[in-house]
Amino acid sequence: MSPSCGGTVDISVSLVLIISFATKSDTGNYSCMTQPPDTISPTVSIQIAGLQGQVWYWMLLGKSAILLFSLASLAVKYKRGELRRLSAHGAVSRLQARRHFGVSRCLTAKAPPARKPRERVEIPGLERITYAERMHYVPGLAKPVFPDWERDYKDPRHYRSPPVHEMPLYKEKPCYVFNQRTSVLEGVRQALWLTKTKLISGLPPHLVSVAENPANQIPDQDERVQNAIKHARFWDTTEERPRKEKYSKTLLINLIHLCATLQSSHPAIGRRILAEKYSLAATWKRGEDLFQIRGQNGLLHNSMDPLPAVSGSQEVADTADHVLETFYPVSPTIDLQKVHVYKEEVNSTGFRGDYPYPHSHTLYFLEGADARCKLRPEQFRANMLMFTFGNALAHAHKLYGTQPQRVLDSPVTVQAVGTNGRIFQFLVFQLNTTDLSGDDGIKNQVWLDEDVELYDFAKVRPLIKKKQVR
Amino acid sequence: MAARTRLPLLFPKNLPPFRHQKLVHTEAVVKEPQYPPIVPSLTAKSKSARRRQFEERVKTICASPVEEKLSLITRIQRQKFVVYPQTFARNADRWYQHFTKTAYIPGLPEKFNLNAEKTTGEEGSPSAPAQVAVPGIDDDAFADIRCMVTRVILQEQWYMKKRKPFLYREQEMMVGPLLRNLVTGLTFSLAKYNPLLLRSSLDIDPQVNFYWWRGQRIIPKGHRKGRQEPTRFQIDDRPHSQIRISQQLPQFTPLEASYTAEVPEITYAPNLMPLFRRQYDNKIFTGSKLPDPACYGHTQFHLVPDRYQRDRMARQQQSDQVEVFLRANGLASLFAWTGAQAMYQGFWSHEDVTRPFVSQAVITDGHFFSFFCYQLNTVALSVDTDANNPRKNLLWGTESMRLYERVEKGEVVGLNDGVIKLLVQFLLNQP
Repeated sequence: MSPSCGGTVDISVSLVLIISFATKSDTGNYSCMTQPPDTISPTVSIQIAGLQGQVWYWMLLGKSAILLFSLASLAVKYKRGELRRLSAHGAVSRLQARRHFGVSRCLTAKAPPARKPRERVEIPGLERITYAERMHYVPGLAKPVFPDWERDYKDPRHYRSPPVHEMPLYKEKPCYVFNQRTSVLEGVRQALWLTKTKLISGLPPHLVSVAENPANQIPDQDERVQNAIKHARFWDTTEERPRKEKYSKTLLINLIHLCATLQSSHPAIGRRILAEKYSLAATWKRGEDLFQIRGQNGLLHNSMDPLPAVSGSQEVADTADHVLETFYPVSPTIDLQKVHVYKEEVNSTGFRGDYPYPHSHTLYFLEGADARCKLRPEQFRANMLMFTFGNALAHAHKLYGTQPQRVLDSPVTVQAVGTNGRIFQFLVFQLNTTDLSGDDGIKNQVWLDEDVELYDFAKVRPLIKKKQVR
Repeated sequence: MAARTRLPLLFPKNLPPFRHQKLVHTEAVVKEPQYPPIVPSLTAKSKSARRRQFEERVKTICASPVEEKLSLITRIQRQKFVVYPQTFARNADRWYQHFTKTAYIPGLPEKFNLNAEKTTGEEGSPSAPAQVAVPGIDDDAFADIRCMVTRVILQEQWYMKKRKPFLYREQEMMVGPLLRNLVTGLTFSLAKYNPLLLRSSLDIDPQVNFYWWRGQRIIPKGHRKGRQEPTRFQIDDRPHSQIRISQQLPQFTPLEASYTAEVPEITYAPNLMPLFRRQYDNKIFTGSKLPDPACYGHTQFHLVPDRYQRDRMARQQQSDQVEVFLRANGLASLFAWTGAQAMYQGFWSHEDVTRPFVSQAVITDGHFFSFFCYQLNTVALSVDTDANNPRKNLLWGTESMRLYERVEKGEVVGLNDGVIKLLVQFLLNQP
């Protein structure tokens, strides 16, 4: 629904309802009413579209019409500026709860509807005589209107923020922000479109060969990994079994600990350091829209030396032929937080100045890290991809400046690992270009290995179903 | 004159010769007991019956495997004193020493102190550089470690963009990551000198619990008035991180050396400390369950609570309690850890440890570091087992030392090499 612009009292509202299914038995007369009554001007027209070949026109079923009309009325009220509170997603919410003061009448019934306050009539040229000087109500005199009192000192406990369009950082053009709790509808496809990336499934071959090389393996690897899994899944708590968030975190830490024991033979491991709770920020333009990525996403392994580029310059040039996958009619900005108040050109890796470990090596994501948002596997992978891209972009901006570059001299490579305690996702991202405005040209590349199971199950007691041990 | 002696003319009648032979020439006869031993009843309402029930219980516990032992010891829930390692009670370290039968020895054991003496002796020679020498590590490696420590400190205090810490969460937000990076960095740098660390298990935010009996009191009121009741204690500790290994650390001093140590004796009841009683699950836990191969402890790292601030205590004229708090923390945490390790090996009150259990701890608030070493010589602390037990547990501890003065414009000012040296030595401790 789209309320038309204009600040007049009478606003025409048009509702477009698309009905996908109708039968002959649904014909008939329907009545509807608006709640609260007469808030919408009488010129409400309902167009019913989408019926293939049917000629019946009817109003939709009662209750949904009431709902739609009430939403429309709230939209109209918002447009008039009568509603002040908005929820985070830009939708309209109700005013403060209506109080039910009358205690001498029945308390269990529905509260009577709020009475509209008497309308103040301003007649130009006439002075309103109020009972302000008399200091008490006098029947016949008007109610005085006093100016709002503002505190002359600053009290941080009583601060009302100005409306959005009066804030100093307000901009007309909206910015779409991706944060660590965003769950995008189209998952990896949307993340690929937003970051102008080509997806290659499976890890790059040289990484796989490094993993298979026995010189790089830990002595007694199987037994130690099994001990690590058992410790995380069974032994870490005084109760019977630890909770999912706890065991996934413990497992990740145990495995990183195991890998780091190879430091004596691989001194490069000693040149890395872990950082947790670092705040990332990166900005880029895609088409006409401005995008930002912000947030504290997880563990980061920072290294003194950059990762080598995975694919050579020839392959990078070949990505120019790849066409990005779109998912019309869904907009690529769906599920991203739209803000009008933002700082332009924020690019920060989370560390300042000449940090001795400037290059991001690997990010570690935990699915259960944030209790408030539960991401499905596809959305989790998209989250991983976006934050890896954000890290690479922030670093590229720091190295080459914020002007979009068509092709980077040395591509920035960042890796990521995500887990939920049993299933792992591996990702290698290579940033080839910072020129992300158009859909053509050189693309970035990502190698994704999804849903790799570390073990089938880890159970504390055997499952007994129908008196048989499974 | 020769008196006529009367010769026995007759053989005494009661000594017939045949029967006599038997008595002279045979050995003592071993008789099979024809009746079972006479023991007090098991179910009568008498004190001897209670004693026998107790002995039977002790026998079943001694005879069962370790898991069952632990569950039998901790099965019955009763009101017990909950001992908090980080407590603001005054002179808490003397109380805790009494509860755990520990003697405090200021300074560190000889194996850490020897090097301090050696280096002070070598300072006179011009060839020795300004850096301190640690046995087992050459100076280059020590310089690397020093750089790594500097970078870790700078990352958390200077380079990383952090928001202002929440109220009373400063330690968790500022010092926690620093300590974690320090532990991991040091562990892996020193892994090639100490192969135990390669096989070690690092726990972040583990739980350590211990339950024991010590002393008794007369029940003042109630239907059991007048009877003796043993005092039960429980420690529930959450160190910041700990390193567990699969082999035991060697002892600092032999068992017998602890016989002469002095443990302060406190005649007051524990609840005057103040200490409060609760009843809940009795837990004994080292940080990981029994089947874990890394069942012995190496080092624990603790963060002090946020309300423990030195300048605040100085303003309240409680500067002496600063060290007392740290000592009490180290004592309680390490006693709980070593006690739980001993229990996992099957030792308990009535089966005392045959070898000492040793662990170390470092307590820090980001600037000040204190080091503690603990040797558990006895778990037999309950009334009947402690009566003739000359062994005492030992705690060595240092005063708190600054690691660095401050961080200025990307530089760490006043880095104390002695503290780094002690950290390195602690982690290098191996059998």
